Amino acid sequence: MTEMDLSKKVADRYLKREVLGEGTYGVVYKAIDTKTGQVVAIKKIRIGKQKEGVNFTALREIKLLKEIKDPNIIELIDAFPHKGNLHLVFEFMETDLEAVIRDRNIFLSPADIKSYLQMTLKGLAVCHKKWVLHRDMKPNNLLIGPNGQLKLADFGLARIFGSPDRRFTHQVFARWYRAPELLFGTKQYGPAVDVWAAACIFAELLLRRPFLQGSSDIDQLGKIFAAFGTPTASQWPDMVYLPDYVEYQYVPAPPLRSLFPMTSDDALDLLAKMFTYDPKNRISVQQAIEHRYFSSAPLPTVPDKLPRPAPKRESVNSKTSDFNPPEGPTVLSPPRKSRRVMPEREGFEGNAYQNDKFDDHVSEVRTGPGEHTSRNEQVPMSLDFSIFGARPPNRPTINSADRTHLKRKLDLEFQHPE
Amino acid sequence: MAANFWTSTHYKQLLDPEDADVVHPPDRERGITVEDFKLIKMQMANYIWKLAQSVKVRQRVIATAVTYMRRVYTRKSMSEYDPRLVAPACLYLAAKAEESTVQAKALAFYIRKIYSDEKYRYEVKDILEMEMKILEALNYYLVVFHPYRSLTHLLQDAGMEEMTQFTWGLVNDTYKMDLILVHPPHLIALACIYIASVYKDKDTTSWFEELRVDMNVVKNIAVEILDFYENRTSISEERVHAALNKLAMKP
Repeated sequence: MTEMDLSKKVADRYLKREVLGEGTYGVVYKAIDTKTGQVVAIKKIRIGKQKEGVNFTALREIKLLKEIKDPNIIELIDAFPHKGNLHLVFEFMETDLEAVIRDRNIFLSPADIKSYLQMTLKGLAVCHKKWVLHRDMKPNNLLIGPNGQLKLADFGLARIFGSPDRRFTHQVFARWYRAPELLFGTKQYGPAVDVWAAACIFAELLLRRPFLQGSSDIDQLGKIFAAFGTPTASQWPDMVYLPDYVEYQYVPAPPLRSLFPMTSDDALDLLAKMFTYDPKNRISVQQAIEHRYFSSAPLPTVPDKLPRPAPKRESVNSKTSDFNPPEGPTVLSPPRKSRRVMPEREGFEGNAYQNDKFDDHVSEVRTGPGEHTSRNEQVPMSLDFSIFGARPPNRPTINSADRTHLKRKLDLEFQHPE
Repeated sequence: MAANFWTSTHYKQLLDPEDADVVHPPDRERGITVEDFKLIKMQMANYIWKLAQSVKVRQRVIATAVTYMRRVYTRKSMSEYDPRLVAPACLYLAAKAEESTVQAKALAFYIRKIYSDEKYRYEVKDILEMEMKILEALNYYLVVFHPYRSLTHLLQDAGMEEMTQFTWGLVNDTYKMDLILVHPPHLIALACIYIASVYKDKDTTSWFEELRVDMNVVKNIAVEILDFYENRTSISEERVHAALNKLAMKP
């Protein structure tokens, strides 16, 4: 960026600052809105000449964000064409929930977790009231503003679900946040898929690492079943009719308490309701917001008192590339960008440690949330045994013929992304 | 109804009837009258329809495309935004916005098939450029509500399912007018049901009374639709052609 660029105003209104990241459909840069003095983030959407015009994903985002204005949804401030490219102007957000969860220096109290979850659910409730499914809920799409407000962002996968019989693709969400009905290939799904993802985020806030880290779709279901037990026909009658349904070896559910030893009863009750197998019986976002967890002590922390990562130095992030950590969730359609550089992941060492300590901690019941340090909070067990080859207790199995069949199917889907 | 109409940007953008048919100064200077203006918009609605039949998109996409076109001309002049390009570009954008993308290439192909006239000849590049200009003219508001869904529900509720085809056709014809810019879609649906019940001698008075809607509004819309059918006989290709030719003239 030259000095000239810095002084030049885009569309007579925005003063360009540094580049924040490179996305799937173009560069994101920081700017000052001279009309309001506000710091904004501008997404430049590249328009390929002679191709298919305005990017489809960007158009979805424009369409839905123009309809939804809410404190817990990212605001689309403006849109304008400039030099043949479409530019979207968003409010500038300092950080995101993933950075908060990964930051070892941050201690999240039960009240902090409650506050972050409450804002997530409130944003989601607004979408669902407008009949919009977000379909890409994950911590790094939950942005955090300067006053601690959490806002849902990245509506590139969102859709209006008005027509009850319309068929959707099941290749939505980063894998770790995908609901079991999606993993079984359902084409008719509803707001419950966002609730499942929100539950994964809730669990991630409690554990300080992704809860169910499947390495493939099949493995993802394995991780889910290991955590909650293989669903029975009575729990989820429609399961066996789903397009990609395969029978998994039965594993009983370990007590949920054993996975979240330091969590309050109310939190655990809500978590269980959000992780209900049958989407028809899964708690709705509105019901979740009204759950007693949010009205019982400790009350949610007010947003501007929430702990956040230390502000980053401006120059550090000026160069970011499409960056998908190898152990990260694979997003199938469409490929996603990563907006920010993520802090070092601690997942692997953590998991190794937890595997060793697995048996010691299962039976240990901790009481009274809030009196533990963040170090303690990270101790509970992992369900991610696969990478280290540690004996996987109760690992669900499916026979090799099924696996080949499913893999072939998945490969096909990779070749023909929607 | 998908999403809530009363909180939508569609509702907030509804116009007064007088504001829907304002001829912009550059067009007026070229001699375009209100009649010409209406006629061209109607012709373009037909054009979008024909193109849509060729590329096979849902009714909803057609309705959205026509609505976009009509919204564009509440803000932009026809001399600046050639209707013969705006129409296909609106269809292109609407198909994307309604999640059933149509290739610009396919549209360019069918344009040539439908009209041999040079003045209709636009290529992929033109459509894509116009797409961006339309987005801007629409102020990026893309969600549109249509009467079709309420129509189905209302007919069911009134026990008049046998009228579906007839009323559906009436609703289709309402897109030849600016009704969608002025009235909430469910009132347009009710007006069509009202016309159908009068036309087919079906007594629906008590059913209408039970709905909590302003029957005066419904009747007014119905009258507008009937007026339109009455006047339509006098519309000819030549008149449309003459109107379009005025646009090309220097003021």
